[in-house]
Amino acid sequence: MNRRVVWGRIAILVVLAVVCAAAANLAASKERKLPWVGIYARALDTSAPVPSSSEPRPSSPSSAVPAPAAAAMGASARFPAHPDKASSEIGGDDAEALHKEGRLFLDARRSSVYAEGHIPAARSFPVWESDIDGRVKAFFDEGLDQNAPIVIYCSGGDCEDSHMLAEKLYMVGFNALYIYKDGFPGWSKRGLPVTKGANP
Amino acid sequence: MSWLTSPWLTVRVQIGLGAIFLVAALPKIADPPSFAHMIYNYRLVPGAVVNAIALVMPWVEILAGLALILGVWRREAAVVCGLLLLVFLVAIGVNLARGHAVDCGCFDVHAAGKTREEQLSDMKWVLVRDFGILLLVAQVFLATRRNPRLAGA
Repeated sequence: MNRRVVWGRIAILVVLAVVCAAAANLAASKERKLPWVGIYARALDTSAPVPSSSEPRPSSPSSAVPAPAAAAMGASARFPAHPDKASSEIGGDDAEALHKEGRLFLDARRSSVYAEGHIPAARSFPVWESDIDGRVKAFFDEGLDQNAPIVIYCSGGDCEDSHMLAEKLYMVGFNALYIYKDGFPGWSKRGLPVTKGANP
Repeated sequence: MSWLTSPWLTVRVQIGLGAIFLVAALPKIADPPSFAHMIYNYRLVPGAVVNAIALVMPWVEILAGLALILGVWRREAAVVCGLLLLVFLVAIGVNLARGHAVDCGCFDVHAAGKTREEQLSDMKWVLVRDFGILLLVAQVFLATRRNPRLAGA
């Protein structure tokens, strides 16, 4: 068989695959949809995630008008804002203390995993789902104090989702992002309460 | 050794091969974000193309698998499967060589929750398995080359 015919048919298979992928992605629910172009800064970096940003943050309206320092120092003086880096890591004791204080927790895992169980009152910010940038923008628009500590977690271990979410929030002006490094498995292992379902 | 390229054996191998690629594609099509996460974990492709690969590659697998099962464009489907397997072998091999443990993401797109040592051990077995599947691809390719009637419409 002519080699040109073989490669022509292979090209047809690939084009057909692209068409099917586009149609399936259009029809997919927002949890299963993917933007065609990904924005993953560390896609070629095999080193462990660093809890700080290597890129300077563009100035934003929020960082130009920071919230009063007193608000940030309030109940959580141990967890100050750190505008020089995206995030800091904390352990289980600190996460538990901040949860008791009623601090905001964000869950960076997939929404389906979040629904199976999450830290009580934690809000879902699935960093691998297509609407994450919209969620981050809506979160920014809530006008929360950007110097108040926010705890982000995912699945612990090698999970980088919380670091990826921290980078996104840092870029829009949040200055006190703390990553609970043991994540949800660590929380469960400590026997702390867990909430199920799609809502906080 | 002509039995190695006999129609009887070729039909069975192509159906088995097609089924392998179909089964591998389904979880990836069902959950593209998780598959994108798997590709990202390999740290081999620029971030901008991670999602596009996650969206298209499973459909290439499923179309090639269907073609093999249905006996349509068998040689072309075998070439596509062979190229995919070479990509998988390189991806796993490079990460194994640099000690970067990853979940394969071959038939399941969710993290298996294994330790680094378990992941590295699994990666060696994946290399062996993929090499075995590559032999099946070679059989279909050679058989369709020797006997053009087997190549499909």
